[in-house]
Amino acid sequence: MTAPMGLIVEDLRITGPEGVLMRGAGFTLRPGEPLVLLGETGSGKSLLAQAVMGALPPGLRAEGRIVLAGRDLLPLPPRERRALWGRCIAMLPQEPWAALDPAMRAAPQVEEVDRLVHGRPAAEARRRTAARFRHLGLEGAGGRYPFQLSGGMNQRVALAATEAAGADLLIADEPTKGLDADLRDTAGRLLRGEAEAGRMLLVITHDVALARLLGGRAMVMLAGEVIEEGPLPDLLEAPRHDYTRRLVGAEPSRWAPWPRRAAGRMVVEARGLGKRLGGRELFGGLDLTVGEGEVVAIAGRSGCGKTTLGNLLLGLARPDAGMVRQGGQVGPLGLQKLYQDPLAAFAPSQPLGQGLAELCRRHGLAAGGVAALLPRLRLAPALLARRPSEVSGGELQRFGLLRALLLEPALLFADEATSRLDPLMQQEVMALLGEAAAERGTALLVVTHEAALAEKVAGRVVRLGAGGEAGAEGARPAPELAGQGI
Amino acid sequence: MRLSRKRLAGGLMLAAVAAFALLGPLHGADPLRQNLSDALLPPGGAHPLGTDHLGRDLLARLAAGARLSFGFALLAALAAAVPGTLLGLLAALSGGWTERLLLGLADAVQALPALLLVVLVTAFAPGAFLPLYLGLALALWVEFFRISRNTAAGVLARPQVEAARLLGFGRWHILRRHLWPEVAPLAATLFAFAAGTAVTTIAALAFIGVAARPPVPEWGSMMTELLPYHAEAPLALLLPGMLIFLTVLGLHLLAGRERA
Repeated sequence: MTAPMGLIVEDLRITGPEGVLMRGAGFTLRPGEPLVLLGETGSGKSLLAQAVMGALPPGLRAEGRIVLAGRDLLPLPPRERRALWGRCIAMLPQEPWAALDPAMRAAPQVEEVDRLVHGRPAAEARRRTAARFRHLGLEGAGGRYPFQLSGGMNQRVALAATEAAGADLLIADEPTKGLDADLRDTAGRLLRGEAEAGRMLLVITHDVALARLLGGRAMVMLAGEVIEEGPLPDLLEAPRHDYTRRLVGAEPSRWAPWPRRAAGRMVVEARGLGKRLGGRELFGGLDLTVGEGEVVAIAGRSGCGKTTLGNLLLGLARPDAGMVRQGGQVGPLGLQKLYQDPLAAFAPSQPLGQGLAELCRRHGLAAGGVAALLPRLRLAPALLARRPSEVSGGELQRFGLLRALLLEPALLFADEATSRLDPLMQQEVMALLGEAAAERGTALLVVTHEAALAEKVAGRVVRLGAGGEAGAEGARPAPELAGQGI
Repeated sequence: MRLSRKRLAGGLMLAAVAAFALLGPLHGADPLRQNLSDALLPPGGAHPLGTDHLGRDLLARLAAGARLSFGFALLAALAAAVPGTLLGLLAALSGGWTERLLLGLADAVQALPALLLVVLVTAFAPGAFLPLYLGLALALWVEFFRISRNTAAGVLARPQVEAARLLGFGRWHILRRHLWPEVAPLAATLFAFAAGTAVTTIAALAFIGVAARPPVPEWGSMMTELLPYHAEAPLALLLPGMLIFLTVLGLHLLAGRERA
């Protein structure tokens, strides 16, 4: 094709039944120079990608111009738009492990793209796929099922499939969601490699670190509008718009360290703790004591047993070796937990206020406790009438905190409690968590895959051995324990 | 709950059959009274739907059959749903030996063909309804048990239940707030299907002469009786079949789950 290269978007507006959702977006995406769309949930960045794909949710309409390789896409009928998928435009799924066929080995999923999209014979498809897997560092993974591969490997399989389709334009929507720092860097490098190989790359993310890694240009979106645009990394070094400044400042590495709190009496203590999962040792011979008022972080890559360790300390799981003991002053409700996915931790059909009222009745707590905590956690009382699915993730996590604080726990276990939140919301919820715990002398056990976050908040960081990426390889992580003071 | 068009159609069909069952007696004819001189009359006059081979009023017989089928199906489905759902919840909540025992029992029951089970139980007291009712409940409870146990077991493994336990809530709360909202809609759906199965089963068994027997006005046995006269009175043979079809279709449409 000799048409002008690149993707040109001009004055793109997206309207829905409730009005304009996104206005006036325009950019030019050239091969080799990634474009990163930064913004929080609901800012319209995913809508923009869906408009380019031609996959807007029903009821939404795009106006303006979207020109891909000289072809105006918006006037095309849906059938012709769909014909471009895979061949001209590819979308890297947000959670590749959910997008791959769970009942099919990795290599055939990529081979079938060669066979069905390009009509290549099976032997050639196999050869090309094998070469792609080698290139992406997936040797030996072809014969495995997605559930036998780690998150990062699944992502590379999905990437191999989009590569096989041969689209010039690759769109990645939150490609690092739920990945720890190492995997995030790997994914970022892979994507950058795609751009360097001459493809057009559009990445949607709220992860500032990923944007920095990708380079190219960035557009920052807020409430359906592009508020700032510029080359990376300059845009992040000297943000002009207040929102961008806050977004950059919300990176855990830029947080102010929490004041270190002296440990009081022992709350929980583990001696010689060991746990195996599926024949693999997660950790062994682990000693750990958490005292009143302390903040202890458990850090490590995904799959290394961080959550398991926390659950053992809370008595939610049984250790294979060693023992866990609670301080004599700790009551039966003294150990509470915040969950990674707050939505999964509430009864879905019950309004939040009703659940809290039941909790107060159950333990004979004064009903005023809820009313007193709401403003402290910056929650509007009107939210009490809603069901868990009708409030935002950040609000729901604060309700989880509220519900735990009502019981005045001696220890609060925050299990990746902010990892699914937008950076600004993460910052706010973590700050509230820290303040609330400090006021009450509650010990905090923070499980996180973000090393920077662990270092900023915790007086001590327990690092579990790296076993995450291995997953299928069955690497034996060395049970290493580094108790560090700041 | 918002009614989908499918559910509305199902509800209307059932309402029509129910209205027919309840309003039928107003016509005043005795479903058992024979009058051989009026045999196999076409619809019209004193017999709006005609008469059968013994001159009995078809409208009265069909309405009586509707009352029998409806009442019976609802009772049988209820007798299967209540213990089945509760045992499923019990199995999921208690785990261990109780769960294994109940699962084994359900497997054993399911290994027998349901219809055979019903025939077997009815064989002890031919012509009586109680064994038929018991046999059906015995065959149908397994589905309720499985659905409720599997759903409950899945919910129990979720963080929401772990969180509730950490917050000091007991079993009753977990049952009411976490398990029941998930299990109840499924059990309700299954209830409509089970009632449909009960309607066809009682008709099928009556057709082969088990349980309901002449002169009891039952749709299945009416079809058996009228089968030899299919040429003279095709409508009389068709009507009970159509009522069965309408009832079961109505129940299944009503049970249909909405996809948003």
